Amino acid sequence: MHNLIFLAQTVPEGRVFGLDSQTLISIGIQLFNAILLAVVLGYLLYKPVKEFMQNRTNRIQSQLDDAEATMEKANQLIAQYNAKLKDIEKERAEILNAARWDASENSKVIIEEAKREAEAIIKRARERVAADQQRLKEETRRHIIELAALIAEKYITANIGEQEQNQIFEETLAQMEEIRWQN
Amino acid sequence: MNLLDIRNRWVIQIAGVEVWITETIVNTWIIMAVLIGLAVIVRFKLRKFKEVPTGFQNIIEAAVEIFDNFVVGTVGKKLSYIAPWFFAVFAFILLSALSSIVGLRAPTADWATTFALALASFVIMFVLGVKYRKGAYLKGFVDPHWIFFPMNLIGELAKPVALSFRLFGNMLSGTIILTLYYALTPKFVQFGIPAFLHAFFDVVFGGLQTYIFVIISLMYVRIAADDNW
Repeated sequence: MHNLIFLAQTVPEGRVFGLDSQTLISIGIQLFNAILLAVVLGYLLYKPVKEFMQNRTNRIQSQLDDAEATMEKANQLIAQYNAKLKDIEKERAEILNAARWDASENSKVIIEEAKREAEAIIKRARERVAADQQRLKEETRRHIIELAALIAEKYITANIGEQEQNQIFEETLAQMEEIRWQN
Repeated sequence: MNLLDIRNRWVIQIAGVEVWITETIVNTWIIMAVLIGLAVIVRFKLRKFKEVPTGFQNIIEAAVEIFDNFVVGTVGKKLSYIAPWFFAVFAFILLSALSSIVGLRAPTADWATTFALALASFVIMFVLGVKYRKGAYLKGFVDPHWIFFPMNLIGELAKPVALSFRLFGNMLSGTIILTLYYALTPKFVQFGIPAFLHAFFDVVFGGLQTYIFVIISLMYVRIAADDNW
């Protein structure tokens, strides 16, 4: 082991180019160096940096996708709300129309009822007036009779004797009986 | 000693076999240490990374994301798992080119380095070709007739060689020009002016060669593994 690797005492002169065993050995050493460098750079630099960038790209892509999905959702919600607003507008118009129609129908009914009531009131008033008229006529006739009887009594008392009175009484009585009989 | 030579720092004997530890290998270790140090810092700072990146986090995320998109755009999503290897290759070649600025000899100005990288890419290409296209990929070696097998085989084997020599040649040319400049010019013009040369050969040329090496490797992989190519 001690004699396996050791430095030579004399170093040969250099050269620019040669095709011999030393060139082959140099190629082998340089190949090993290149492979070692590629492995180290690959594992320490290239792959981790690429992985970092790929992860970041994925994260950003994912965020963009999320944002797009959220935007799409928001647009859908806006569309839904717009549709709802349109429906509400339509519903409002329908409710208003229905209310107007109901109000119109109710007013018609109320007017009809009012008319009927007014007619009934007028009818009742007319009946009452007619009854009053009838009552007044009767009272007036009775007063006139009483008044006529009073006047007649006074006149007879002042101008006619007892005999004539009895005669007029008999005649009036006879007339009354005749009228009663005719009725 | 030639100024352009890749110097040997140490020579070690491993079980009787002589191994030269060259300037390239030492500089590679330095660059690896810097990159691994950066990776460790990132790994620790990653826990504190925020949702909205700023400063250091921005730079790291941009580097990884831009490179990942580049790999996915070149080889497709299916083969994008090979991105870490090419990320390491990209970072290493680029930092190698930039290391010249601080006086280090670029490890990619040594064919052993560029061939090692190209060979690894070639192995990846072959393995993925067999994995995804199976017989269809192997059939390509005897296409359009088995008699073409030697030519097809040479064509395939030439890929890593061509790839490695392209990068090696380009990086070495920059090194040669800068070495010549420092060697041939007097001291008083070696301040200021070399900054422009370094900016061009190390930063611009280095960046361009890094891109070319990686995209050609990725195209080889795609051609091998993709049925629709």
